[in-house]
Amino acid sequence: MLRLSSLSVGYSGARGRVLGGLDVGVAPGSFVCVLGRNGAGKSTLMRTLAALQPALGGAALLDDEDIAAMRPRTRARRVAVVLTERAASPGLSVDDVVSLGRQPFTGWQGRLSSDDRAQVAAALAVSGASAFAGRLFDDLSDGERQRVMIARAIAQAPRLMILDEITAFLDLPGRVETMALLREHARATGAIVLLSSHDLDLSLQLADSVWLLDGTGGLAVGPSAELIASGRIGAAFDTLSVRFSAALGRFELVA
Amino acid sequence: MRVLLGNVALAFAALAAALFALSSGAIAIPVDAVLAALAGRGDPGIIQIVTDLRLPRVATAIIAGSALGIAGVLMQALFRNPMADAWSLGLTAGGQLGVALLVTAAAFAGPSAIAALRALEGLSITAGAMVGIAVFALVMASLARRVGTVTLLVVGLMLGFTVQGIVSVVIHFANRVGGRVFSGWNDGNFASVTPADLPMLAAPVAVGVVLALVSAKPLTALLLGETYAKSLGTDVTRLRRLTLTAVVLLVAPVTAFCGPVTFIGLIVPHFARAIAGSARILPLLSLAGLSGALLALAADIVVHAPWEQHFLHLNAVLALVGAPVVIALLIFSPSMRGQR
Repeated sequence: MLRLSSLSVGYSGARGRVLGGLDVGVAPGSFVCVLGRNGAGKSTLMRTLAALQPALGGAALLDDEDIAAMRPRTRARRVAVVLTERAASPGLSVDDVVSLGRQPFTGWQGRLSSDDRAQVAAALAVSGASAFAGRLFDDLSDGERQRVMIARAIAQAPRLMILDEITAFLDLPGRVETMALLREHARATGAIVLLSSHDLDLSLQLADSVWLLDGTGGLAVGPSAELIASGRIGAAFDTLSVRFSAALGRFELVA
Repeated sequence: MRVLLGNVALAFAALAAALFALSSGAIAIPVDAVLAALAGRGDPGIIQIVTDLRLPRVATAIIAGSALGIAGVLMQALFRNPMADAWSLGLTAGGQLGVALLVTAAAFAGPSAIAALRALEGLSITAGAMVGIAVFALVMASLARRVGTVTLLVVGLMLGFTVQGIVSVVIHFANRVGGRVFSGWNDGNFASVTPADLPMLAAPVAVGVVLALVSAKPLTALLLGETYAKSLGTDVTRLRRLTLTAVVLLVAPVTAFCGPVTFIGLIVPHFARAIAGSARILPLLSLAGLSGALLALAADIVVHAPWEQHFLHLNAVLALVGAPVVIALLIFSPSMRGQR
């Protein structure tokens, strides 16, 4: 169970508060898509939830524990993160990278137990990365790298997975596969998966629940159908030349 | 498996090199006589040459080479820069400056300060080098977060030149005794360490190795970048402090006693990675320690080979091996190619 309790996110500097007074609950096993235009605050929200930047106020509670107040190692056992930034790591094999996901569970040497090994292999299999496990991470294509980073996050066996625009570099089949496997993972393990994305169509189809950032500091939460019907998707994304058609479930050009 | 085989092979090679270094020189001593002398048997003259003259030098080469190799692994991981090394980033220059300033300060403070400095030569120059290296390490670590890989290296090399200039001016003002403490130091040398100095060289290095072992696991996570390291439970600020402390403890005593030894810390981590087939830090530490010792011994053997008349400098020999490797890395290494 993830609960945001009057959470405010943003920066102390000139940018100031990006989103404020967020109160949302998410049930275990949910696949949640976070949608919004560029600059609406998706990444800021995701980074704050992952405790990579401090909240301006309020808290995000995972199973009633404040994520930001957890000890780093405890947090690493419960929250996994995959980001947009292209990870590069000279000299690490795919297997090494996914094994890093077990680091919060290993001793000072980082030696993997047979159970850790099994989890790494399972994570590679689930994310469809087993085929290139022996290759160097830096030799992979963007899509393959993203799968490996997802496998690493899955190997972390988290209660909450936070994935920030990870489908940006992928082609359409890759996006569908990635989002479907994450949804399946949430269902199978009871983990909460939070995925921010620009893929409106896919997100609206696959998400159990959508967090819609309207770009003015507001957050609407609900199933896709509800947000479409209430016109909120349109309100968040429409421009002078493009508008979201509730009837068609996609964007159309304004004639 | 690769790591184990590599460690065993390197250990044997280093042992063989050490024995060869003990037996070769201006007076050639057969290996069996060397072994006998080490056990305290045989001709007293030979025992004296082996245990008093050559053994400290060989031990110094082993300790210094391993320390620099391990420090190189730590710095390349911490700075995420395949060219990072105590020398290329100007830390050894910081050590030089620290020692030079210490010597000059003592010279100005008067004869008693010089006497105290000479009495505690090992301790005081280690302390001077440590302060200098620590300051430069902090500066470069904060700079590394703002500038790119190549810029950082150029800054490091320029720092080195700047320090050379400052040092020659500063030493000019130190009196002759102070100058003598400093002299001959810039060429790098494993031969100036006396048996009494060895513990002072070895103790900080040993502590540095322990800290290196402790930081190995989080440093491996840092290979993915700071954000991912944090999300894997690494306290990055603490890790940075820990690793820099380890680097200072490893590099400062070597710089203090042997002078600025170049290239070992830069190229040895690349050998270690090639042997291990992976950049995971923990296996690299032993591999880099052993290959550092091996390289230092090999260079020392060349320096002390019975040359007809001239005398080779350690850093000249290391540059002959090291500089081409660095050039090859700059041109062919994929991670450096990305920096263009």
